[in-house]
Amino acid sequence: MLNKNVHIVIVLFLLVISNLSFSQDFNFFEPKATIAGYGELHYNYSKPEGGKSEEILDFHRFVIFFGYAWTEKWSFKSELELEHNLVKDGQGELELEQAFVNYHHADYFGVQAGVLLISAGLINEYHEPPGFLGVERPYYNTVIIPTTWFGNGAAVYGSSGGLEYRAVVMEGLNSDEFKASSGIRGGRQKGFKADAEHLLYNGRLDYTAVTGLRLGASYTYNNAKGDSTTNKIGLTEFHVQYQAHGLYAILEVGNISYSSGDIEASRGYYIDLGYNLGNLFNIDSRIIPYFRYSDVNTAAQTKSGGDSEKKYHVTQVMAGISFLPIDQVVFKLDYSETMVELGSVKTKLFNLGVGYMF
Amino acid sequence: MIRLLKASTVLIIILQFLSAKNILAQEIKENAEAILFESFGEDIQFSLKKYTLPRELKSEIENIVEQRFFSDFIYIYNIIKDDSSIAYGFLDNVYGKSLPITFLVILDKKGSIISTDIIKYREPYGGAVKNRNWNNQFFGLNGDSDYKVGDNIVSISGATISVHSVTKGIRKITILYEKIQSEI
Repeated sequence: MLNKNVHIVIVLFLLVISNLSFSQDFNFFEPKATIAGYGELHYNYSKPEGGKSEEILDFHRFVIFFGYAWTEKWSFKSELELEHNLVKDGQGELELEQAFVNYHHADYFGVQAGVLLISAGLINEYHEPPGFLGVERPYYNTVIIPTTWFGNGAAVYGSSGGLEYRAVVMEGLNSDEFKASSGIRGGRQKGFKADAEHLLYNGRLDYTAVTGLRLGASYTYNNAKGDSTTNKIGLTEFHVQYQAHGLYAILEVGNISYSSGDIEASRGYYIDLGYNLGNLFNIDSRIIPYFRYSDVNTAAQTKSGGDSEKKYHVTQVMAGISFLPIDQVVFKLDYSETMVELGSVKTKLFNLGVGYMF
Repeated sequence: MIRLLKASTVLIIILQFLSAKNILAQEIKENAEAILFESFGEDIQFSLKKYTLPRELKSEIENIVEQRFFSDFIYIYNIIKDDSSIAYGFLDNVYGKSLPITFLVILDKKGSIISTDIIKYREPYGGAVKNRNWNNQFFGLNGDSDYKVGDNIVSISGATISVHSVTKGIRKITILYEKIQSEI
């Protein structure tokens, strides 16, 4: 009896092992740590009409990505960012912009928990310098979508048939810090002992089945709360990007509605149109001249009306060029003129930049 | 008898653990072979070879493409119909931002790409490289072709790292085939 049982176990063992020895060859995953990063140095010149010029050299962002994959499904990802070279006397910032555990169940479903980016617009989640035009991120992505927008929370994501979705629940905004000049930007808690009483809800859906096209929209809602105020905000945005056959075309449009305070709505959009001359000359480097028009008003609709709706209405015309000798390194140059509607105040801006990613 | 039961329990736990990995590996194999049947019909046969890359050739191709091979070997399917070889399938990996992307390149006997497919994608971002339309861009390219992202290979917003990585991986296979076609 004993011998028979031993025999059965040995046969089963050999059967399974023989199957494993073949199939496990196809198990390509190995636990692995990853280091990546990006950074950008900027030169900014600005001269308001009739005012004094200002010149700044700024290593704007130095970012280290660190990740570790325990298994094919379970991994950790993080981004630590130093802004403006150092942190001193309230200037410069050291930020943990991402730090989350990721469970990738399948292409159609995954879960993330930790410090996360919200899914709004084209740049908040994909912000490496070679990936966008212009030395600085578009003004739209500063005050309509306050990039980089991150916080403590959880997300689900997935893709199927050319559709990608992501939904985030995370810490809300501090409504005491909303301003007419910068919209909701100052309200980000950035994960610093964040008040979790009024959570923020965000969802994005993108269509990517047409090669070169990303077309999508997102909605973000938060019943924002501060020490002295509450304010229900809703950010609705639409984005489309087409990059194919040398053409670069981008449009982002967004609207923030507010339930209380003087500002009732912040609105804006920008358009980029560029072309990669590297295609014409059949060279590996990319040389992309482009044109941008931007129209942003953080106090587009106010209760007080009149001049308060013109004071922060900024239009911008920009021409620039991006030169990518290799795909991971970019040199940028741009010239622009901005105009504030109230008083027609014009400012000339000239920027140079070098950026990298790896 | 009790000892035997205990030993069997331990063995079953070990096998359960191993078989979790086995399922993942089996899925890759099944997906790759399903694509071969879809492409050429159910009446094909194929043989699978684990091909060890000769060190000098490996280094030569890595220098041309500026990307390392994932490992010292790749898998090659010889696709046979009516007793003669009609195409080859190369199963290989490249790294995305941090995890492997497993892909299959099917070449005709002249070395031109019939199709490319992402067999397994493991990252939360950049999964659009799986899209059929994006993969169709490689049809007809061979080891002498240009593979310029942003020109004849369209990039994908939000999948830049994966696009560059997979493009280089596919190009490596087409160059490799030209060098080893007499051996396989």
